[in-house]
Amino acid sequence: MRNDIELETIIEDYLQGKLTAEEAKAFEQLRLNDPVIDHRVVAHKVFLESLAQYGRVISLKQQMDHAHAGIDVAGLTEKMRPHPSFIVNLWRKNKSAVAIAASFLLLTIFSIYSIQHNTKQNGTYEVMRREITTIKNNQNKLVRTLNSTGPKVPKGLASSAKFGGTGFALTANGYLCTNYHVVRDADSVYVQNSKGESFKAKVAYRDVQYDIAILKIIDDSFTPLANPPYKLKKNSIGMGENVYTLGYPKDDVVLGEGYVSSKTGHGGDTTQYQVSIPINPGNSGGPLLDDQGNIIGLITAKENQVEGAAFAVKSKYILEALNAIPSDSLGKKAVFSKKNPLQGLSRTRQIDKIGKYVYMINVYN
Amino acid sequence: MSNKLSSSVPTDREVVLGILNNSEDALNRLYIGYFPMVLQFILNNNGDEDDAKDVYQEAIIVLYNKIRSGDFELSSKLKTYIYSVCRRIWLKKLTQQSKKTNNLSDLEDVVAVEVDLEQHEEKELQFEKMGSALVSLGEPCKTIIQDFYIHNLSMQDICEKFGYTNTDNVKTQKYKCLQRLKKLFFQS
Repeated sequence: MRNDIELETIIEDYLQGKLTAEEAKAFEQLRLNDPVIDHRVVAHKVFLESLAQYGRVISLKQQMDHAHAGIDVAGLTEKMRPHPSFIVNLWRKNKSAVAIAASFLLLTIFSIYSIQHNTKQNGTYEVMRREITTIKNNQNKLVRTLNSTGPKVPKGLASSAKFGGTGFALTANGYLCTNYHVVRDADSVYVQNSKGESFKAKVAYRDVQYDIAILKIIDDSFTPLANPPYKLKKNSIGMGENVYTLGYPKDDVVLGEGYVSSKTGHGGDTTQYQVSIPINPGNSGGPLLDDQGNIIGLITAKENQVEGAAFAVKSKYILEALNAIPSDSLGKKAVFSKKNPLQGLSRTRQIDKIGKYVYMINVYN
Repeated sequence: MSNKLSSSVPTDREVVLGILNNSEDALNRLYIGYFPMVLQFILNNNGDEDDAKDVYQEAIIVLYNKIRSGDFELSSKLKTYIYSVCRRIWLKKLTQQSKKTNNLSDLEDVVAVEVDLEQHEEKELQFEKMGSALVSLGEPCKTIIQDFYIHNLSMQDICEKFGYTNTDNVKTQKYKCLQRLKKLFFQS
């Protein structure tokens, strides 16, 4: 018993390194020689370690309990408890995912915004382009939409003119030339001369392809004119030729002046000229005359937003249209005499003479 | 200022150094810092706040042992480590209670902590053995052993505390107690 206590003390001192070097050496020798003692050393070591660990854990738990006491567990529990609301649970469990999604969304919105910001300018370009394409695709028919009331309302007509255009006399007996698109869908057509006299007319001939229509005045009050002073030019005309037109973009006749800028019309259309001339809705169907007072074309259309690009059907096609009408109904064929009475006259004099052969055309439908 | 500091979650480095230096403050801050996370996890997975406390304290012990063992190498954030350990422990407890353990709703990332927990289980076993051995040892042996081996009181202190006439008596008494305790510990 006594020895056992001594031995235990020595073992403990040995394990705790309290023995002197010599004592330790002697003890290790003893361990080697005596397996029983060696076993006791190992067992004691394990035991002491367990005990120490036990002690540490106990003290750790005490510390943690102390720390735990400082936490408002009840409050936290209330806050952390699984929320009855599905949304809140979803939010709690997927906070990070939601955060990522949100930032992604933000980024997307920002990107889209900046892209849109860019396309604002691009859009302007596109709009411009689209407008250009529109110009390419659509010739702006120069039909004037008329206001409901005005002096041009012909007698006996309660309703107002829907469209207006210009036309010019081809023969003395009341054949007029204008654009087909002026009288398209027309229920009735009235023409009005520069004096303000209005006559009923009918469409005698239509040429959709060349956009030409020939009207015949059928009004009883119409008195035949003198032969038109101008002549239709059969040959085509050179670029740069000075030209002018008379038309009714308003209720009085208006002069437009310009030059032939191209021998082909819209999209390379060889049946037309391109003319640099200021024209407006209402000018459609007006005569295009050169310096000598020859009719070289029929004002038809212009390009949107392109300055000085109007189109006129070449006079050759007016002649073709005229030929389609039985010659006897055209009356005297002296219309286009070889001698042009306007030749050599000043512009003012020419216009003075031509003016009464240019009619405003009112279309009702 | 210090109050504010102690209430904030300490950095991982602070925790490791604090544990190695036996700093009570570091432990407090660690404990307070991550308890809400574990509480939320347990509450969301069929547990109550007492379960959370048990699981969390066990996880802290695992962390302590790991850091104290010397070969501590943190391969993830401390928060993730603690969460993973808690998750593992709670999963096991749920299995033991044969509650449903599938689709545990996770709130954090998880790292593998199986090895650490196996070691922990051995230690836990020893801890429980030692605890029950000490309980069956009875007084005054239990207090003498605890005072001497855990609280590191000297023979003289114990002698005075228990009113022994001299330290030899204490030594004898301690020896007898220790023998009984050893027997209880190794037997069980």
